[in-house]
Amino acid sequence: MSKSKSMTRSIYFSITLVAAVLGLLMVFQFRTTSSIDRGIPYDRVQELAMEKKQVERDIAQLQEEAADLSAKLNEAGKGYNEAAGALESELAKVRLYAGLTPVQGPGVEVVLENLPGPAGTGLYTIRDDDLLKVLNDLRGAGAEALAVNDQRIIATSEVRMAGNHINVNLTKLSPPYRIKAIGNQAALKSSLEIKGGIAEYLSDLGIKVTVQTNENIFIPAYSGTVDYEFARPAVK
Amino acid sequence: MWLGLWLAVLGLAVGIVIGLNIPLVLPQAYAKYLSVAALAALDSVFGGIRAAMEEHFDNTIFISGFFSNALLAAGLAFIGERLGIDLYLAAVVAFGVRLFQNLAIIRRHLLKK
Repeated sequence: MSKSKSMTRSIYFSITLVAAVLGLLMVFQFRTTSSIDRGIPYDRVQELAMEKKQVERDIAQLQEEAADLSAKLNEAGKGYNEAAGALESELAKVRLYAGLTPVQGPGVEVVLENLPGPAGTGLYTIRDDDLLKVLNDLRGAGAEALAVNDQRIIATSEVRMAGNHINVNLTKLSPPYRIKAIGNQAALKSSLEIKGGIAEYLSDLGIKVTVQTNENIFIPAYSGTVDYEFARPAVK
Repeated sequence: MWLGLWLAVLGLAVGIVIGLNIPLVLPQAYAKYLSVAALAALDSVFGGIRAAMEEHFDNTIFISGFFSNALLAAGLAFIGERLGIDLYLAAVVAFGVRLFQNLAIIRRHLLKK
């Protein structure tokens, strides 16, 4: 070798240094790798961290969606309440028309009375057709609600003779018969008291007829139950 | 020549002993960079041995090559990590190929003797 002594010495020094650094590096790497083997792999950690981030993003998104949906649900609930209210008012109206709610208003009260005397011995006893004629005339004059002795007349009500009594809504009624009607007072009254009308006709038969207008007539609801066994809504 | 070899082995042993006795463990995130750096360093050492056998060993080139290669390899791995490319593979391939080349040349020199 032709190199100077100091030169060779520095070469030896650098070789030693490099070897030492290399050994250090390799040992470090060895230890890190073996510690990785013992612990959780770094890739796995990264993967899980990314997954976690993704899941957090998903959570945020889903929370937003949940808020949105609950708002929509609230709105739908409001709509539902409105619909329920509409249905309820419709139901109340229908019940009113059907005679299932008590009503009050201006109208007339007609009292039909047999002339005094022991039962059955009077000149004339009020029959079901007399009552029906009165009800019919009142209906014709636009009565909106009718009742005989507080028995509400509805679509299925019958008025028929049963012995000495008259049955209305399967309830026995006995004289005097009080017929209440709500409607235009003048029209109702005049429909009965018109010349040659029902009041005159019944008076001629010996029945005491009184027609009174009243500003506030109370008519109770139909007390039975309405149950249609055979009739069904027609299908088009 | 033989003194150099013995010194190298001694240096290696000293490095290993120091490394084993330092209670420092690098975070796992740096393991990749360190591994590439170690590979580069290894390549430099073999390059140095080869240069010594071809009798044109330059101390400055050896030292600078050793450290710059190691740092460059680690930096490459780091940048690759940031960019989402496995750039350290480039360092592994390049240094691996050179390593085997150097080894082959060293073997030939040894066999020629």
